[in-house]
Amino acid sequence: MTTTSSRLSTSQGVPVTGRPGGAGPVQPTVVNDAVEGPFDLVDTVFEVADVSVFYGDYEAVRNVDMKIGKRRITAMIGPSGCGKSTLLRCFNRMNDLIPGTRLGGKITFHGEDLYGDHVDPIEVRRRIGMVFQKPNPFPKSIYDNIAYGPRVNGVKRGLDDLVEEALVGAALWDEVKDKLKQNALALSGGQQQRLCIARTIAVKPEVILMDEPCSALDPIATAKIEDLMQNLTRDYTIVIVTHNMQQAARVSHRTAFFTADVDREGVRHGRLVEYDETSKLFTTPSDERTEAYITGRFG
Amino acid sequence: MTTAPARHRTENPSLAGRFRPLEPLFKGMLLASLALAVLFLVVLLSYVVTEGWDRLDPRLWENFPSKLYPERAGAQSAIVGTIYVIALTGAFCVPIGVMTAIYLEEYADGSRWWNRMIELNIQNLAGVPSIVYGILGLGVIARGLDLGRTLLTASLTLSLLVLPVVIIAAREAIRAVPGSIRQASLALGATPWQTIARQVLPAAVPGIATGVILALSRAIGEAAPLLLLGAVTHITFNPSGITDSYTVLPIQIFNWTKQPEAEFHTLASAAIVILLFILLAMNSVAIWVRNRYQKRW
Ligand SMILES: Nc1ncnc2c1ncn2[C@@H]1O[C@H](COP(=O)(O)OP(=O)(O)O)[C@@H](O)[C@H]1O
Ligand SMILES: [Mg+2]
Repeated sequence: MTTTSSRLSTSQGVPVTGRPGGAGPVQPTVVNDAVEGPFDLVDTVFEVADVSVFYGDYEAVRNVDMKIGKRRITAMIGPSGCGKSTLLRCFNRMNDLIPGTRLGGKITFHGEDLYGDHVDPIEVRRRIGMVFQKPNPFPKSIYDNIAYGPRVNGVKRGLDDLVEEALVGAALWDEVKDKLKQNALALSGGQQQRLCIARTIAVKPEVILMDEPCSALDPIATAKIEDLMQNLTRDYTIVIVTHNMQQAARVSHRTAFFTADVDREGVRHGRLVEYDETSKLFTTPSDERTEAYITGRFG
Repeated sequence: MTTAPARHRTENPSLAGRFRPLEPLFKGMLLASLALAVLFLVVLLSYVVTEGWDRLDPRLWENFPSKLYPERAGAQSAIVGTIYVIALTGAFCVPIGVMTAIYLEEYADGSRWWNRMIELNIQNLAGVPSIVYGILGLGVIARGLDLGRTLLTASLTLSLLVLPVVIIAAREAIRAVPGSIRQASLALGATPWQTIARQVLPAAVPGIATGVILALSRAIGEAAPLLLLGAVTHITFNPSGITDSYTVLPIQIFNWTKQPEAEFHTLASAAIVILLFILLAMNSVAIWVRNRYQKRW
């Protein structure tokens, strides 16, 4: 909203040449095209190689290849049911919790196979946090919500500082500092979602996965979270699923567009159609399906 | 909209209510059921209180049973026995029941036939008559394990009897905890066990407490299996340990009602009041626990 310039400046001091004009069919506010250098120059956090995800026999996502850059915001967009959440949950092995889920292909995290035999999913989730679509604070105090992650990870001392730091980091401190002992469920939806972000960063992960974090929020709360995401890229790599194209355009450096292909038997499989710098994807998409989607002709 | 009104609508439809006979009828039926239940309870309570009034005095809990002198007889050994049996039954069946429920809800793969069979059997066990558990307790626990006709045998048998109720209630309570809470916890790097111990169980406590009330209320009134397990009717001492012989209130009451003298019948009614009182005391503890842990989602 009003923080365009601060958003730009948060992105690792890469020279900023300014705001592009209102080209592009949906979004006049692509703020970050210039921030992104050539992708090869950015460290790769995740490398997704020929990944397919199965629920039992159903192949929900098929043959995805993509790289996710460090301290970048990567957006995944596409019509609902095309497997965005499914793929996102693979990044911190939350899919392990759904019986019958299977992964084909390979996802590496800093070069290490995320699904290797030696990998402990608990450790994975400590390093790769997740924020869900519907704010899901624990029915406990604000303080206990934030302290929960550190506590289960064995932290006993310095919790007060950790809690403050996390709440400041999630731009919630000023609103809640006088009521840390209050039940978190008394907060508004937007505050609850920022609390969930604070709770995630209290564990000091490297990556934050967000699955439509704003879809249950009003525009003002959404704007606050988007600002927050920009600030978080100083320290964190963010992957966000959104079905809101404007949001992807506003916040992300790179965007992946997914859609669902129907195979000969009439079964729908999620496919990655196009993955590119956000400004490019939204202004000069190379696939006609992307263009159809971003211009609102489909999806 | 502002054009001519649709043909089939009148210009200005009335807002007067229509005649809806079913609404008051259903409400009346609900109230009638409630009234019937409350009426039974009141009649029962006032009946036993008036019947037992003459003997509702300290003699009842200060004295031990006497076969010859109804005016001297009391039920202290039965009261103490009942409290022991219930406490031990709770101590056995709550942890085992809750742990079983956790396993079935959080770990067992419901698509495996053996897990489904366990589930089915638990449902069925809840319906088995209590005398069958008495026979089982006698054969397996008293004789097989050689624990004899003791408090321990009685409590173990009653635990088996009410275990299905505890398991079913605890499973319902655990299932009612939203999955989003588990996901939030696991996504923060908590282990499955940390998630259960710190999030799921505390949230399930109210439901579990309700199940425990139901289970122990059933156990406290059971006489049939204990008759087989040697709850002797004439015990003139309190149990001093779990391997002592014992009696409980339902047995004592049963015994007194069989006596020819009217004084013993009065005594039986007074003992029923005591039994109800213990039941209420126990339930209020459970209700207190339930309210303390009640969560709002
Ligand atoms: N737990 C599940 N079990 C079986 N199928 C699932 C499950 N979750 C999602 N799916 C299916 O996988 C496909 C992709 O779903 P999802 O990843 O939620 O899509 P999106 O987030 O893009 O809307 C859909 O067809 C959906 O029905
Ligand atoms: Mg989704």
